[in-house]
Amino acid sequence: MTMMTTITLSPHVLRFSRNRTALLSCAILACVAFACFFGPVWLAQDPSRSDWAALSLPPTLLGGHWFGTDELGRDLFVRTLIGGRVSLEVGLLATLVACSIGVAYGACAGYFGGRIDALMMRVVDIMYAVPYMLIAILMMTLFGRAFYLVVLTISAFSWLDMARVVRGQTLSLRTREFVDAARSIGVSGPMIVVRHIVPNLIGVVVVYATVMAPGIVLTESVLSFLGLGVQEPMTSWGVLIEDGAQKLEAMPWLLLCPAAMLCATLYCIGFVGDALRDALDPREH
Amino acid sequence: MFTYALRRMLWAMPTMLGVITACYLLLHATPGGPFDSEKQLSAATLANLDAKYHLSEPLWRQYLLYLNALIHGDLGASYRYVDWSVNDLVAKALPVSVGVGGASIPIALILGVSLGVAAAVRRDRWIDRFVMLLGNSGNVVPPFVLGPVLVWIFAIMLKTREGHGWLPAGGWGDGAWSHRLLPIALLVLINVSTIARVMRASMIDVLGSPFIRTARAKGLPPRIVVWRHALKPALMPVVSLLGAISISSITSAVVTESVFSLPGLGQLVVNGAINRDYTLVLGIVVLTTVAAVLFNLFVDLAYALLDPRIRY
Amino acid sequence: MKASQGLAAALIAFVLTFSHSTFAVLVPAGIKLAAVQEITRQLPAEIESVDPAHIESWAANTVGLDIFEGLTRIDATGAIVPGVAQSWTRTGPDTWRFKLREDARWSDGRAVTADDFVYAWRRVVDPQTGSKYTILAEFVKNGKAIVAGRAAPAQLGVTAIDAHTLEVRTEAPAAFFPELAAMATMAPIPRHVVERERDGWTKAAHFVGNGAYLLADWQPNNRIVLLKNGRYWNASQVEIAKVTYVPIEDDTTALRMYEAGQFDYTYRIPSGLHGQVAQRYGNELRAGMQIATYYYSLDNRDPAFKDKRVRQALSMVLDRDLLTKRLLQAGEAPMYGLIAHGTKGASPFMPDWASWPMSKRVDYARELMRQAGYTDARPLTFTLTYNTNDLHKKVALFAMSEWRSKLGVQTKLENVEFKVLLRERHEGRIQASRDGWFVDYNDAMSYFDVLRCGSIQNDQHYCNPKVDEWVARANEQLDAAARTALLTRAHALAMEDYPMVPLFQYSADRLVKGYVGGYSPLNYVDQRASQDLYIVAH
Repeated sequence: MTMMTTITLSPHVLRFSRNRTALLSCAILACVAFACFFGPVWLAQDPSRSDWAALSLPPTLLGGHWFGTDELGRDLFVRTLIGGRVSLEVGLLATLVACSIGVAYGACAGYFGGRIDALMMRVVDIMYAVPYMLIAILMMTLFGRAFYLVVLTISAFSWLDMARVVRGQTLSLRTREFVDAARSIGVSGPMIVVRHIVPNLIGVVVVYATVMAPGIVLTESVLSFLGLGVQEPMTSWGVLIEDGAQKLEAMPWLLLCPAAMLCATLYCIGFVGDALRDALDPREH
Repeated sequence: MFTYALRRMLWAMPTMLGVITACYLLLHATPGGPFDSEKQLSAATLANLDAKYHLSEPLWRQYLLYLNALIHGDLGASYRYVDWSVNDLVAKALPVSVGVGGASIPIALILGVSLGVAAAVRRDRWIDRFVMLLGNSGNVVPPFVLGPVLVWIFAIMLKTREGHGWLPAGGWGDGAWSHRLLPIALLVLINVSTIARVMRASMIDVLGSPFIRTARAKGLPPRIVVWRHALKPALMPVVSLLGAISISSITSAVVTESVFSLPGLGQLVVNGAINRDYTLVLGIVVLTTVAAVLFNLFVDLAYALLDPRIRY
Repeated sequence: MKASQGLAAALIAFVLTFSHSTFAVLVPAGIKLAAVQEITRQLPAEIESVDPAHIESWAANTVGLDIFEGLTRIDATGAIVPGVAQSWTRTGPDTWRFKLREDARWSDGRAVTADDFVYAWRRVVDPQTGSKYTILAEFVKNGKAIVAGRAAPAQLGVTAIDAHTLEVRTEAPAAFFPELAAMATMAPIPRHVVERERDGWTKAAHFVGNGAYLLADWQPNNRIVLLKNGRYWNASQVEIAKVTYVPIEDDTTALRMYEAGQFDYTYRIPSGLHGQVAQRYGNELRAGMQIATYYYSLDNRDPAFKDKRVRQALSMVLDRDLLTKRLLQAGEAPMYGLIAHGTKGASPFMPDWASWPMSKRVDYARELMRQAGYTDARPLTFTLTYNTNDLHKKVALFAMSEWRSKLGVQTKLENVEFKVLLRERHEGRIQASRDGWFVDYNDAMSYFDVLRCGSIQNDQHYCNPKVDEWVARANEQLDAAARTALLTRAHALAMEDYPMVPLFQYSADRLVKGYVGGYSPLNYVDQRASQDLYIVAH
């Protein structure tokens, strides 16, 4: 088994690198991440400083406000970069947490079946029915507004969908021949789940993770909209876009600039996800 | 299978009890109560209200009172909307949510599956790229941006002869089709992308499996291979999602309902939570739980239909 | 402002010496009315009830005033005019006698009598009813005691002398009682229907009211439809035949619906779009003021704000002109005191430093802060809490920026949900928060609730017994001018203690189609009855 996994690493990487769209997307993502994390430091501009002489300015290439300013005279470019930091961090962390929980939960439920499955899925049913916002309000007001709590609140509900999808796939996978084969040579249940079921799920999981990521970023903006996300003067792409959508007719740049960054990033994540799915497919070799 | 379904229905009872209890405790633990307002109420008035709504009694007694009423089909009185009972409010909001969310599901399903299959079959060709781009768009452009864009095109740019928008910009009016089109379109756009992408991935998986190779080797025409043999197993992940998407489109379409100002369940539950209207929120939770249990049962039964190897 | 003071005095005098007359739509000569008289108005949220005992929001009051009519009524310009009562006199410092008109009828034909008022008001204060908005009825003698459960509803100080004469005894002298009587809470209710239908008496199917309109249909969160009441005593002067109220919470959605022709009348303009809207809609943008003040409430007991000098400095350095004219741009007026322009019974407060150039204000404020012990090395830090809202966020960011750049104050912003803000403030856990005061009735007394020692509305925990003394003395005056002078002084005294940081007065700008007539910019209370409007042919 171990020999198989070491040999199969390089073909995955090779296949991935053959997909030019994916490589381009990776490059763009790296640029965006770099800009968001190091840009504000390099620009040395205070994102919450209001330029009272330049309220609601459209983007101007010369004159320093590349993305324009908002109604309070704050430079939109710097705010977009700072917002990117928050959105990327939340998106990445929450997706990882939700995926891990979802895959583990769903695979176990699907594999072990019977009463364990029934119980686990009933818990999922219960969690689906509880209004998400209520939990969000409660968690935020009882435990404070730390950044990791935003991540936790979002992941707390995002893993449900993943668990359902994984469970469905596992249900059909466990009846497959290779699972029977593994069992017949004495591999234990949990080992089967980890070594055989999960690798065959990777395709759907990766795709669904890249479907989830934008949803998570948007959930973060809804939370902020309700007063539960990042606090002013910190900001995130979701907050900037939501604000910009309100003022679309009057100040289109407030929406277009952060939305362009967000869309570009999410598109790239999508392409990378598809390429990963193609590259990691255990059957294609 | 029938006994399985029956067993699941019986499971609905403890599930509902679990959900209601959890929500009940959460609601009462959240800071802020239904009668907190900017203009403070006097202690005497608060005492009167507590008496009227049994709020001063121990929590477990209030809970039992609530359950008792629930068994008799009475969801209680709304704290905020004094003239209406929760039964009234939910009954008025349900047709709106079902009319919009419910209508969007079949459309999104058919479109999503078709696009996903087309992309998988013509993989790496232009149609695949196109589907992926389209698919990604629905996920990437936030609904609270997409909605206003739709409104801007159909209600503000396009005008009738009298100068009114071609389609209304919001509201439900008397439920006419003109009020439903844009919200349904928005929900379809949001959901199509997810369905198409997952369908594509799943179809690619299935098309690479041994039994498909066998079918092709037998000389079956590609169309039969895809639609008769590959489709059913490939639909599994989509069906898994369908339950969740259906429930959320009907009961949690908050963004769509707020963009178009529709009097649906999503708006009702969010406002209820903000106003700490305990009975209203619990009433909708009861409804959502029943729907969730039913939908999940259908999904699990569908699994058995799609994959004959799955047995309950 | 002298003009409003004069106007207020004139109106009060006018009202007191008033006699029978009809006030309704005054359609100017030469205006051609449209054939179809229907209007669709936006409400900012779904209303909680149409039952007068349960009406508490502005929106519910608006609908309530269309379907019920109290002793008095607010007309198009915001003046108090006869409603069911055709005249009234103040027979003593705390006694009023209202003479009801003989032709006032319920929509099922029965006469509206003084007993209906007695029944309705007793019901409002009855603890069994569970009304959350008893503040108006509490002005009537024993009202507070009844609400507290210490007296029976029958002991309320209102008596029906005969079928058409109502005598009211107030708890304390209240010159503004006719203002109170105009609100929907004080409307009469049809006893015969309420006793027959119990809790469901307001349902449209069997609705009976005495207002200009009848409740024809109510779909929650969707729309409320009112149809003209043929039995209203002044029906001949009512032009609009059908009113549809649509609750839309999001201002931008409402604007789009107005643009698409679904409304004739919005509630307000989305924040930040004022310039664009003005350019695009021209005359349809109706400017107006609301008698409502936006301020920052400071907990005077908190160590950060205990020192009056700190509070004064914080107030002095804020450039309210920049805030209202460049930032918010929705027609708001800068405020330096609690009482807003257009309030009857007292004048707004203007400190002398308001006219100083900003540099002088900043220097003075910095000196105050230094005296209070705060320097650049040891800056003042506190948390400013506001609830989720675009306007509140903008103002908070503005204030934070001003305080930091001019005084070196470190403000931490905290954005919480509305109910959480209320609960935390009520329990004294908040240092500084965004607050607002909307008057329930157009008289300065409505504001003193916020400033009175020990009042539950006094979030600042401010206490100056001298102010309360002045207020009590002012209310004993029968002469309106003397009362106004005393209340103005009491207010100024309170404001010089700087218990809070007033910012601006809300504006009531909204979009109303050009063909809607009868919309007056003078209506500061912003209660606009549909019977005062009309549709011009277009």
